[in-house]
Amino acid sequence: MTTTTLARRSKRRSLRRFLPLYLMLVPGLAYLAVNNYLPLFGLAIAFKDINYRKGIWNSDWIGFRNFEYLFKTSDAWLITRNTLLYNAAFIVLGLALAVAIAILLSEIRNRFASRLYQSIILLPFLISIILVSYLVYAMLSMDTGFLNKSVLPVLGLDPIDWYSEPKYWPFILTAVHLWKGAGYSCIVFLAAIVGIDPEYYEAAKLDGASKWMQIRKITMPMITPVVIMLTLLGIGRIFYSDFGLFYQVPMNSGALFETTNVIDTYVFRGLMQLGDIGMSSAAGFYQSLVGFVLVLVSNYVVRTINKENALF
Amino acid sequence: MKRSAAASSALLLGLTLALSACSGSNGSDGSNEGSAAASGGASASAAPGGPVEELTVAFPSTSTPKDMQMVEDAINRIAEQKIQARVKLNPISAGEWVQQTNLMFTSNEKLDLMFVSGALYNNMVAKDQLVPLDELLDRYGDGIKTAIGEDYLQAAKVNNKIYAVPTVRDMASSYGVSMRKDLVDKYGIDIGAIKSLDDLGNVLKTVKDGEGFAPLIPSSPGQTYLENYLFYDKLGDGIGVLPNYDNGLKVTNLYEMPEYKELLTRLRDWYQKGYILKDSATSKSTPWELIRSNKGFAYFAGMKPGFAAQESQAAGTAMVAAELLPPVAMTGTVTGAMWGVPVNTKLEDKAVQFLNLMYSDKDVVNLLDWGIEGTHYVKTAGQDNVIEYPAGVDSTTSGYNMPLGWMFGNQFLSYVMKGNDPDIWKTTDEFNKAASRSKALGFGFDPTPVKTEYAAVSNVITQYEMPLETGSVDPEKVLPEFISKLKAAGIDKIIAEKQKQLDEWAKANSAS
Repeated sequence: MTTTTLARRSKRRSLRRFLPLYLMLVPGLAYLAVNNYLPLFGLAIAFKDINYRKGIWNSDWIGFRNFEYLFKTSDAWLITRNTLLYNAAFIVLGLALAVAIAILLSEIRNRFASRLYQSIILLPFLISIILVSYLVYAMLSMDTGFLNKSVLPVLGLDPIDWYSEPKYWPFILTAVHLWKGAGYSCIVFLAAIVGIDPEYYEAAKLDGASKWMQIRKITMPMITPVVIMLTLLGIGRIFYSDFGLFYQVPMNSGALFETTNVIDTYVFRGLMQLGDIGMSSAAGFYQSLVGFVLVLVSNYVVRTINKENALF
Repeated sequence: MKRSAAASSALLLGLTLALSACSGSNGSDGSNEGSAAASGGASASAAPGGPVEELTVAFPSTSTPKDMQMVEDAINRIAEQKIQARVKLNPISAGEWVQQTNLMFTSNEKLDLMFVSGALYNNMVAKDQLVPLDELLDRYGDGIKTAIGEDYLQAAKVNNKIYAVPTVRDMASSYGVSMRKDLVDKYGIDIGAIKSLDDLGNVLKTVKDGEGFAPLIPSSPGQTYLENYLFYDKLGDGIGVLPNYDNGLKVTNLYEMPEYKELLTRLRDWYQKGYILKDSATSKSTPWELIRSNKGFAYFAGMKPGFAAQESQAAGTAMVAAELLPPVAMTGTVTGAMWGVPVNTKLEDKAVQFLNLMYSDKDVVNLLDWGIEGTHYVKTAGQDNVIEYPAGVDSTTSGYNMPLGWMFGNQFLSYVMKGNDPDIWKTTDEFNKAASRSKALGFGFDPTPVKTEYAAVSNVITQYEMPLETGSVDPEKVLPEFISKLKAAGIDKIIAEKQKQLDEWAKANSAS
């Protein structure tokens, strides 16, 4: 009797104690519900032949017809390959670069200099992709580009028509992506590194460990969970592509489609005239489904290797 | 984290789905309650003293002028008196037009009258977004009918019903090149003698040899050189066309025509000789920018009366034009700009009545086109049809600068800004009447039955059209590849569907 009242009282007390925290949770949950859960009803659109007079719910069900265009084309393989390979490269190289930058930044003792470098590296992330596309254009343009006008002649090379040579674009796009995104993604790693208890390093130093050893034996293992988490999140989005990067930066140049056409640009170009929301929803649905499955699978793989590092 | 507009529209839709309930109830506020009663009897609402309704009118625009409200009030004074209605003008940024109006449809927002562009027209009808207007036009649209004229009104029919009415402006288009006058004079070029592409080639050679820069530039960023040289009726989208605007109504694959290959070969030759801007396929500069910076001489264009004057204004230097293909009216040239009544409306009677004013009331038209007399323009002394800016005001400082006369109903009722031909509308009217008509004038294609193939073919076309039609790649090598990819994507199925629809249309039209 007394124990249950005690338990109840302590439960009530803990509720009262944590109430402010729960309240703080509400806006976030509401945001999540409105922005991420309510739209789930919209998934039905992917299976409907939308008719505005009938409205969304009364439009006819047409099964998987909206999905056909994604697979029926000879380009289906190409856009899937491009999307997956680019994103795989972005995940691997992006992580490596971000971690490297984070470690370098964390080693800078001068606080002012550290902040300055961090801001400079972050800057490209804040530039609109449209502007980025023009920066790239200023480099690569046939008639006025910096490379064709100033660099290649000095090296004694012929000008290259960059916008009609697909073979260069995997490198150009990857470079642009890394340049633009590295500053942002390194913030998380930097925070993780700053959060490591300095005692580890002090102890290591006493034992005579070099800087390199400290990074390998302390920093890397300590931030591994964060790295894995971000990788898993990246894999979840592996079927999406950065539309601005693949559409704007190559200037929508048809000659480059072989290496620049990804799922999002394909959908955009295909539906620009049709404007069919059923078909575009179908593409979105397909992408999120594949992403979902990939996250489950890769999480399972992580869990079998090391249970503690898995997301769930 | 960026996504394509297409994919994120799914999310947006989900959101608006949730919000539509709210906006639905918003729509039925005080002013609309009255409409339910009024729309019961159309004649009742037309009678003087009936309740004054407010119409929401949406159209694409580049900016919202600061004196919009003033102009709106002036229009309302006329509209209240004549048709017991007020209007709420809702200009939407042209770049967001499609997305915004789509959202308005999905969320059933209040919208009574809207601009309809020809490119979207058939699609909108197929999606059931527009109210059929035939009966309403019979009842309220006399001004509209006489202004447009029977045969051009027919061109707006889909499935034998009118869902939108074309604005009164140039209804046909001729094709040719627009050239800088200073260089034409410098090299003594006789523009009257430019009749064919061979002639044009010689002119380009002269200018190239004399000036050094590539003389031929794109008509606008993202356009190929053939988009303004239409020797065929595009039948909407160019996927399956009608050569010579007739061809016995047999739909043909443009990309397989020998004429097409010939044109590509010619462009390739010009490209290699340096007559064509090397960056054509990716250039983001307007022809006027290039001309101002002395990097261009000529561009292809769809032309109409007063074209050279219009281009001179835009380019900031005198331009002259040479016609290569005579004027022809096609569905696309007629339906380019139209007005329709969206299904969202509860006030279709009033909407058409107001539309009628836009086609027949000189005051309403000029308020929309030029603003308020005395404030935004003054009449030029001695001429009742010509206007100019008041002292100390120009197009950049005017409180109402909305040069969209081609869009606001009947442009023939519009005043002419000083500096243009005062008889321009008379000339245009004659141009419209004299233009030859495509045999498929009035036919519009509905791609919904072949959506899957359409998406694939659209992709193939964006991939190959630009490099080929700017001469950037060798047609001998690339054209066969283009054609075979089109086939793989299912172009033949689209053409067959188009042929089927065209046959049905022809049958229905000869019967009526």
